[in-house]
Amino acid sequence: MLVQTIKGLIERSELTAVDEIQENDNDRAIVTTWLYKGELVRQDAHVSILRGLPMDGEQANI
Amino acid sequence: MANTQSVSNSFKVELMNGIHALGATVARVGTTKDDFKAALFLASATLDEDTTAYSVTGEASGTNYVAGGVAVTNAGAPALDGSTAHWTPSADFSWINVTLSNAFDAVQIYNSTQSNKSVAVYTFGSQTVTGGNFTLTMPASAGTTGLLRLA
Repeated sequence: MLVQTIKGLIERSELTAVDEIQENDNDRAIVTTWLYKGELVRQDAHVSILRGLPMDGEQANI
Repeated sequence: MANTQSVSNSFKVELMNGIHALGATVARVGTTKDDFKAALFLASATLDEDTTAYSVTGEASGTNYVAGGVAVTNAGAPALDGSTAHWTPSADFSWINVTLSNAFDAVQIYNSTQSNKSVAVYTFGSQTVTGGNFTLTMPASAGTTGLLRLA
């Protein structure tokens, strides 16, 4: 399977994918860094907002 | 039997639907809902509760990122959960095959039908993306978690 990277399409087997999970106050993120021969060639981020905002609240208070 | 002082739950949902106008409002050409968009902003930007409208100032930029952001999918009408009116977009926000080298940590939702008036700004942990995808997953559509809530 080929993966799109900044160096074009590269075989999945030649890439190393490293997942990092970030826990924040109101979100949880999974950042996937793709390395090709040690060089970063792709990075994805998926952020889940855990809770929205009340209209009578302030963002700093969530 | 006694009366109970309260704000009508129906009023809360109707506010979200633009039914009531306690001040001067806008002329509407029909009964359709407005269109909303979501734009990403740099960690160095200064959006807050005083932000009144979308502006390109401080917006993220990079390969395959279109200024103004993406359309918000709005298939679900505001609803009532207990005594809390709430609304959440019906799909996640996605930017595909983008490179955003400068750290961004906020998304602004704004009303593109009504002169790009701001709705809300949500922050998250600072991110960058390189030739990949960025997805913002919406919270559960409920009274305690919905993206916009009016209790």
